[in-house]
Amino acid sequence: MTVATTNGTAKRTAAANSRKVRFRIKRCDGPNKLVRWETFELTIAKGENVISCLQKIAANPVTTEGKRSTPVVWDCSCLEEVCGSCTMVINGQARQSCSALIDVIAPDDGDTVTLEPMSKFPVIRDLWVDRSRMFDALKRVKAWVPIDGTYDLGAGPRERPEEQAVRYALSECMTCGCCLEACPQFELAEDESEWDKSFIGAQALSQARLFNLHETGAQLKGDRLETLMGPDGVSECGNAQNCVKVCPKHIPLTESIAAVGRSTTIHAISKWFSGK
Amino acid sequence: MAKSEGFLERHHFLLRRLHSLTGVVPIGMFLMVHLTTNASIVWGRINGHDGLEGADAAVATFQHEVNFIHSLPALILIEIFGLWLPIAFHSVLGVIYATSSKPNNDRYAYQDNWRYTLQRISGYVGVLFIFYHVATLRWGWSFLIPGGTEWSAEYAASTMAAALQGSTDGFRLGGLLVSAFYMVGVSLLVFHLANGLWTAAISWGLTVSESAQKRWGQVCFVIGVGLMLAAWSAVLGFATLDAASAREVETNMLEKAAAADGDGAAPEHAASHDEDSDHTGG
Amino acid sequence: MTQQQRVIVVGGGLAGLAGSARMAEAGLAVDLFSLVPVKRSHSVCAQGGINACNEVARQQGYSEYEHFDETIYGGDFLADQHPVLEMANWAPRIIDLLDRMGVPFNRTAEGYRDLRLFGGSLFKRTHFSGATTGQQLLYALDEQVRRLEADGAVTKYESWEFLRPILADGADGPRCVGIVAQDLRTMQIRAFRADAVVMATGGAGLVFGKSTNSVICTGAALARCYQAGAAYANPEMIQVHPTAVPGADKLRLMSESARGEGGRVWVPRKKGDSRPAREIPEAERLYFLEEKYPKYGNIVPRDIATREIFDICVNQHMGVDGGNQVYLDLTHKDPEYLTRKLGGIMDIYQKFVGVDPRHEPMKIFPGVHYSMGGLWTQYTAGSYAPSEPQPAHVSGTETACDAEIGRGMLPGAPNNMMTNIEGLYAFGEVNFAFHGANRLGANALLSCIFDGLFSGVGVANYIRDGAPSTAPAESIPQSVFDSAVGAESSRQKAITDTAIGGDHADETNPYIIAKEMGEEMTAGCTVVREEARLQKTLDRIAELRDRWSRMKLADGATWTNQSLSFARSVGDMLAVADAMASGAKARKESRGAHYRIDYPDRDDAKFMKTTFVTYDAGEGRARVEHREVRAELVAPRARTYGKVDKEEPAKAEAAAAGV
Repeated sequence: MTVATTNGTAKRTAAANSRKVRFRIKRCDGPNKLVRWETFELTIAKGENVISCLQKIAANPVTTEGKRSTPVVWDCSCLEEVCGSCTMVINGQARQSCSALIDVIAPDDGDTVTLEPMSKFPVIRDLWVDRSRMFDALKRVKAWVPIDGTYDLGAGPRERPEEQAVRYALSECMTCGCCLEACPQFELAEDESEWDKSFIGAQALSQARLFNLHETGAQLKGDRLETLMGPDGVSECGNAQNCVKVCPKHIPLTESIAAVGRSTTIHAISKWFSGK
Repeated sequence: MAKSEGFLERHHFLLRRLHSLTGVVPIGMFLMVHLTTNASIVWGRINGHDGLEGADAAVATFQHEVNFIHSLPALILIEIFGLWLPIAFHSVLGVIYATSSKPNNDRYAYQDNWRYTLQRISGYVGVLFIFYHVATLRWGWSFLIPGGTEWSAEYAASTMAAALQGSTDGFRLGGLLVSAFYMVGVSLLVFHLANGLWTAAISWGLTVSESAQKRWGQVCFVIGVGLMLAAWSAVLGFATLDAASAREVETNMLEKAAAADGDGAAPEHAASHDEDSDHTGG
Repeated sequence: MTQQQRVIVVGGGLAGLAGSARMAEAGLAVDLFSLVPVKRSHSVCAQGGINACNEVARQQGYSEYEHFDETIYGGDFLADQHPVLEMANWAPRIIDLLDRMGVPFNRTAEGYRDLRLFGGSLFKRTHFSGATTGQQLLYALDEQVRRLEADGAVTKYESWEFLRPILADGADGPRCVGIVAQDLRTMQIRAFRADAVVMATGGAGLVFGKSTNSVICTGAALARCYQAGAAYANPEMIQVHPTAVPGADKLRLMSESARGEGGRVWVPRKKGDSRPAREIPEAERLYFLEEKYPKYGNIVPRDIATREIFDICVNQHMGVDGGNQVYLDLTHKDPEYLTRKLGGIMDIYQKFVGVDPRHEPMKIFPGVHYSMGGLWTQYTAGSYAPSEPQPAHVSGTETACDAEIGRGMLPGAPNNMMTNIEGLYAFGEVNFAFHGANRLGANALLSCIFDGLFSGVGVANYIRDGAPSTAPAESIPQSVFDSAVGAESSRQKAITDTAIGGDHADETNPYIIAKEMGEEMTAGCTVVREEARLQKTLDRIAELRDRWSRMKLADGATWTNQSLSFARSVGDMLAVADAMASGAKARKESRGAHYRIDYPDRDDAKFMKTTFVTYDAGEGRARVEHREVRAELVAPRARTYGKVDKEEPAKAEAAAAGV
C-alpha cells in the first residue's frame, strides 16, 4: 500500500541511504541473436531488490551512455522466493532476483550489479530462459503419487512427523534451477532431443527420492530407479556438491543423491539376483 | 565408435559402478600396499634389517619386499588381470566420463567443488604418470628415463634411485624433472584415491546423511594424509638414496642368497640379469 | 464422435489444476493455458493452511455446518449461501484427497494430520504444511496434472496469454466456443476451439500496484471476459490483509497463521515511544486487538484486524516509530517451534527484511490481498431447503443440516460456476461465489480446489448434454475464430505501432500509468472509502484510460515483447479498477472488507445484495446493478465477533438486535 511505503520512517531512511548503483546487464534479442551488454544507472533507496530495479529500468530504459534501449525481459512472478521464476545469474552466481537485496549485493555508492541469464538453459530473450527441461525431467522420473483418481476414497497413509519433515523439505523444491546452473556436470541442451543425453541433475533426483518415500508413490519406485540408472542418471553426479550450497530452499540435495545412489545399488543387486 | 557409445549407454550403470569399484578394489588397495612397500625406503631405516642399519637397512628391507612380490606364482597374470586391465579400464572410462565435466570454480569456489575439479585433473595426470611409471620401470622403456638406467628387481632400490636422479652417480637436471613429476604424480594419485573413497561411498549410497558424509570424509582425510606421507617418503627416500652404496647392499644380498642356495653360479646370474628380458621383475 | 470433446482451462493455479484433473478424468481433452509454468502459479504463495472440519474438532462440537456458518458470518452475509454449504461439506473429503496425493501435511506425534487455529473460528480446523501450504497443495495438483499430461489427457500451453473468449451465437445468447491466446515467446496469436472454457485466473491485486499478489495477478483475463459481456460481481470486495511487510516491489504476506500460532499484535502504549520492542515492558504495550475483541483476540477476521491496525496508525498516530507499522510479535514462542510450524514465513521475513522474527517482533502493515468479487457465476441449489433461515449455529448443538454431498449444490449441474455466458465458467478466486464481503483465512485454497473438483463435473455434463452435444465447437464456422484473431492482431498492432517515432514522456508511459493507477486505487479504494474520494478515484481512472489510449510503447519487438503484454494488460486493468470503484461508490453501507466512513453501518434492507456489474462498451464504463443475495439458509445477524466497545456498548447491542 502506498501509505505503507511512503510513511515517514521509510522516507527518512530512504533519503539518508539513497545512492547510485550501476546495473550491467547481458542482453540478447532472441535465439541466435548477438549478445550485448548494457549498463543502467539507478538511484537506490533502502530496501530495494533486483526486481524493483528492473522495474525502474523498464519504466525508463536509458543506458549510462544516454541511449534509449528497451525494457529488459525477465521472468518473475511471486517475488517472495517461492515460485522459482526470477532465477538469474547475479554477480556471477545463480539466485532469485527477488531476494537479491541491493543493500546486500551492492552496499556502496557506485557499486555495480551484473545480471546474466542462466547459462544452462536456452535464452528466450535477455534474462528469460526456457527451463522446460526441468519439468520434462519431472515427467521422466514420474514425480507423482499414482492415485486412482480425484474422487474421495478416504484418507492417505499415516505418517510419522519425522518422515513428514523429510518429505516436506524435499517438497519445497520450486524448480528454480539454481542447483543445475551451479552443477559442473549439468550441461546446456538446446534441443529437446538432447535432454536425456546428459546429467538430469539434482532437482529431478531429489524429486524421485521424494516420491519413493511416499507409501503410494513407492509403487513407481522401480520405474524411477530404472530411469535414473540410465546414461543421464544418478551416476553422472560428480559430487561437486555445489547444488546443496546454492539451493535457496536449503533442500538436502546431496543426501537425496546419495539416497538415490543407495536405492539404485539395492535395486540393481536385487534385480540381478531375483530378476526383477 | 557409434557402436561403442551404444555399449556405454546400454551398460551405463554397471560400467559406472565397475569404474567406481575398480578404483577401490583392486587399484586403491594395490596403491595402499604399493606405497607402503615403497615407503620402506624410509621406514626400513628405522626398523633395521638383518643387522644392517640406516640407509643400508632400508635398501635391504625394500629388496626383501620386492623379492617377496617377485616370488608370487604367475605374477604376470596377477599383474595383467589384477592391475593393468583394471587400471586401463578405470583410466579409459574415467577419461570418457571426465570429458562431460564443465568446471566452474571461478564462480562457485567451494572446497567441495575444488575437489571435484582436482579429482578430474588428478585423473588425467595420474593416467600419464602411471603410464610413465609402468612403462619405464616395468616394461623397460628405459629411453624415457634420463640417464637410461633400467630398473631391475634384483637391484630394486639402486636402479630406482638412479631412475629418479637421472644417473647412477647423483642428480642430473633430467632426474630433477623426473623426481618432481613423481612427487606431483603420486600426490595427485593419493588425493584421487582418498577423494575417490569419499565419493564412492556417496555413489553407492553408503553415506547418505550429511553428517555421515562428513564423518566418512574425515576418515578419508586421515587415510589420504597417511598415504601422502608414505608416498612422499618413498619418492624422497629414493631421490636422495646413494645409488652406489645401495647397489653394494643389493649385491651382498644376492651373494648371500646364492650361498644359501649352495650354488656358486648365483653372482653370475645376477650379473647377467641386466641383459635378460625382464619378465619376472616387479 | 470422431473428434474428442475439448475443454480449455485458463490458469494453472489450484482451481485450474483441480478442474483440469477432474475434467481429464471425465474423458475430456483438456487444453491448459497459463502465463507461467503452472507450477509457478500464484497459489504457491498461500501460506497458512486449508480449512475443513476434522475429527478432533468434531468431537469438540464443531461440524461442517459450523464451518459453513462461520464462512457466511465471516463474509458478512453477502455470499449466496448454497455454494458455501456445499464447499464446507466437501472440505474434509478434499483434505483426504490431498492427503492421498502425498501433500506433506504437518503431523501429530501419532501420525495424524496436525491442526492449527485460524481467523474467524474458535476451533482448530486448519490443516497445514509448514507455512507454505499453498505451495504444497499446488505441487500435489501439479504432479497429478503432469501425470495426466504424460498420459496425453492434458495439453499444456505455458507462457501463453489469454486474450479473449471467442463467442458464437447460441440458443439463448452468446456461447463460448474457444479463446484467442498468444505465445509470449514467439508472439504468435491464434484461436483455440473448445466446447467450454473455464477461467481460473485468480485475483486482480496488481490493480492496486503493490499487493501481496504475484505480478501475474493483473486481473486482465477477468477484464477481457467482463468486456466481452461476462458480468462482474462484487468487484468492490477487496480483502486487505492485516499483516504484510512493505517492500519496494511488493507487499509480502505474513500469514494469518502467525497469529493462529500465538502471534500478538501490539504498539507501545505511549505515542512516540522509541525504545526497541524488547525493552518495552508488558504493561506498556497496547495489545489493541486482544483488548477490543477478548473472545477472538488476535484472530479476528482480516477486515476487522486491518481496520483496527489502520485506525491505530493512521487515525491515532500510534504506529511503531510514528510510522504506518505495528508489531506482530512471536518472540514469546520457542524459536524451534516457530521454525517447524512457520519456517516458510520466518525465512521470508528474515530474507527480505534482514531481521530474525524469532527474536525481534515483525513490523507489519495491511496490504491488498484477495478479490472476494469476481466473475458472476450461477449454480443449481441442492437438497437442503429449511422452511426459514436459521439463527446462528451454536457449537455442540444439533446442526440444521448434515454433511451429505448435494445438500448445498446439485453435483454435476451444468450451470454450477457458469458465468452469464453459456459455456464460459469461472473457478477459484476469479469468481465471486464463496467469500461474500470478506474471506476467512484458509478458505481460499479450499474454495479453489472445491470449484475445480465439484464444478469440473458440471462442465463435463454441459459438454456431453448441453449445446456442444448438438453443435460442437468443431462445427462452428472458421470465420468466427478468424475474426477474433483478427481483432486481437489489430489491437496488438495499434499498440506496437506506437513504439515507432515520437517522444517518450511519463504521461504516455504504460509503466507510469500503471503505477499511478495502483497508487490511486490504494489511496481511494482500500481500507477506508468515502463518496467524494471514490468519485475522485473514478475521475482519475478516466484520466488514466485517456492517457493509456495515447500510450507510447517502449519496445516494438516482434519476439518476446513483454512490454506489449504489460501495456495491453494495463488497459484491461483500468476497466477492472473502474468496476471496483464504481461498485464501491454504489454500495452505500459498510460490510465486510468494504468500509464507508460516510455509511459506517451495514444496511441489509438496501444492500444485502450482490453488486452486479456489466461493461457498457459504448461508454467504456461499468454499469452497476444490485441483485438479491440468496440467503435462505442462515438469517443475517450482526457481525461483532464479540467486540467490547467501551465507548459505544449500546450501539453494538442495537446493531445485534436490529438485524
